[in-house]
Order: sequence, then structure tokens, then C-alpha cells
Amino acid sequence: MLFMILPEAGELLAGVKAIEGFRLGCLIDASTGMVLASLPSMDAPAPPTAAAGATDLVHILTLLNGKLATGEILEDVMITFSDSFFMVRPVSQDTEPMILLLVVADRHRTNLAMAHRSIRDFCASLPA
Amino acid sequence: MNGYANLIAARLRKLADEESTGMLPVTGRGDGAIFFRDGQVVYAESSRTSRPGPRATGLDEHGLLPGEAPDSGGERYQDEAGVVAVRPASGLAGVLELTELIIDALTELLSSESRYARFRPADVLPVGEGRPVAVKTLLAEVQRRHEILRQLAPTVSPDTAVACESSLSLPSAQVSPGQWTLLGRVGNNTTPRTLAMQLGRSVFGTTLEVYRLVELGLLAVQGRPPAPADGQAVTVSFIRAVTGGKGNDD
Repeated sequence: MLFMILPEAGELLAGVKAIEGFRLGCLIDASTGMVLASLPSMDAPAPPTAAAGATDLVHILTLLNGKLATGEILEDVMITFSDSFFMVRPVSQDTEPMILLLVVADRHRTNLAMAHRSIRDFCASLPA
Repeated sequence: MNGYANLIAARLRKLADEESTGMLPVTGRGDGAIFFRDGQVVYAESSRTSRPGPRATGLDEHGLLPGEAPDSGGERYQDEAGVVAVRPASGLAGVLELTELIIDALTELLSSESRYARFRPADVLPVGEGRPVAVKTLLAEVQRRHEILRQLAPTVSPDTAVACESSLSLPSAQVSPGQWTLLGRVGNNTTPRTLAMQLGRSVFGTTLEVYRLVELGLLAVQGRPPAPADGQAVTVSFIRAVTGGKGNDD
């Protein structure tokens, strides 16, 4: 199912499809958990569930950060499953509401360091 | 969704199937309207949620917002070509801000206490282009939000009065600029809805932020003891909202 609340966001997502082993890309409003746009490949996990999980993770980590109060900011989250990588990154650190990029990639086809770099560059290139 | 909300959802699906253009007035706890163009929702507004801009759509012109003076015609944003825009939005966050307020209004309008009136094909969105979104996508999002609000209900609702937690020796805590703004506005009988309306923000989003501030121990629900620190408090789960919801819009 293709979620497209913001067509503009869908166009932007095309940039992460070049990641080797790409399975799913989502842009998510972290404050409400709303999926703004998703770009699934043929073997993608369900976008609403994957996006909801990413938002739950960020919510918990933000709560942890809030309680620790060290002045740090969340840069990204990298999760390794047996067959896939889940990578979550706020597209901008100084924009509210925080918009998250979720990329799911095939672990057996993806170079994690390269994917990490691509995601970082992609977020830096997005208009604020 | 249940009861009358299901009837409204069914009406919206029918308007989408018929590729309708016009306005569906909705009444209930608050008044509002949903605007369609070619079967897609382009705008929605409720008297119980923040409006995207001053006299953004002209609901006042349609007599749907009680207590508002007739349009004086002087508060809209108008470009050189005479096209009136709802609110200048820049970047993804700006576009999201406007869309969020539309979905926030829909979430309110599709409550179980709402009823729709006769569809008005002649009444089109009088200003701007709106934000066309498919009805199916919107209904899925509204259902998800209702499920999250159900999860939040034991702790906080949009109409729950909250106050700054002053009885505790507060630990240091780190908050976002948006949360800081909310903390600065909390006074007597402040609710997430009043905060959202003051700041022109989403009621749903503000309710979630207030819940997070309660979790951090910086806000407390009035008349209720602070949440226990042993993790017994209800935790909101976005996954549960999309996989374990009771309603079904499909």
C-alpha cells in the first residue's frame, strides 16, 4: 500500500532508492507518527507498521535523552535484523516537527557504511 | 471509528467514488466542513481545532462557524495574480504544518458525536488550492489517531487540565523548543486543546507532546497524582495503533 499524505515528500524519497539492497523508504512526522510518504520495493515490509515501529523507537530514545539531560541530540538509529537493516535518522536537527527518514535495506546486499553515508548525505540535501 | 463516525466515513467514501466536488458540513461537539475536489479531500476545518490561517477557507462565509463576523476581506494573503493562499509554507515542514491541521480537523470531525448535513456541490474551496489527499489514506490516518487517543485516554485527553509539576524536586530534563513553548504557556485549567488553539498547532500533536511532558515528570494531570516512577504508567505505542486497533475503516 502506497501512503502519500504529502506528494512532495514522495518525490524526495526517490533519492534513497539508489541505496543497494533498498526495500523501503518512509518519511514520518515523529511528533504524531504520521507517515508522510512511503516508497516500498516489491519485498518491503508493511510501511505503516515499519514506520510506527521507527516512531516508537525514536519516542523511547527521546524520552531517554530527555531524562538523561546530557544536552545530546539523537543523530540516527541503526538496527540489524537477521535479514535486514533498519535505519532511522531525523532529516533535520533544528526543524519542528521532527521529520524522520526510515530506510529498510536487505542486509545481504547492503554495505552498511555506504548506506549510512548515503542516508546522511540525503538528509543534508533535503530542503529545510 | 464507530456509530455516527462510521456513517460519515461511509459518506466520504461515496463522495470519493463519485469524484465529487463541493463541501460536506459536519456538526457535533463543534462545527466544521470537509471540502472535496474531484473526489479528494482538499481541506477540512473544525471549530474545535486550530485553523491554518485567518479566514483560511471562508467557512465563515458559508455560515459554518458561529460567532464569527462576516468576512471583512482584509486578512487573507493575496499574491500579485490575485490568488489567495491559505498560509505561506516553506519546505517540507511548512507543507506538513498545513496538512497536519487539516487532518487534525478531520480527526475531530469524525468523532462518534458528529453528524453530516447535505452535501453542497456548489460550495467549493473559496481560497487557495488546498491539499488533495485520497479519502482512503485520510480515513486510515484518522483511525490510527483515534486509536492513539484511546491509548492516551487513561493519562491525558485533548480536554484534560494539566499543570506544571511543582511538588517534586524536579530532576534535570531536556526538552525540545516546541515542548518548552508548551511549558511556558501552561497555567490554570490549561488543556492540550487550549494550548493548541493558542499556538495554532494541531490538537492531536499537542496532546501527544503534553503526554510526553507528563512522562518526563514536568507536567501533571490536575487532580491526579503524578505517574508512578516504576514504569507502571500506560505507554503509548504507535505500533499497537496500526496493528491492534479495534475499528476498521477498510
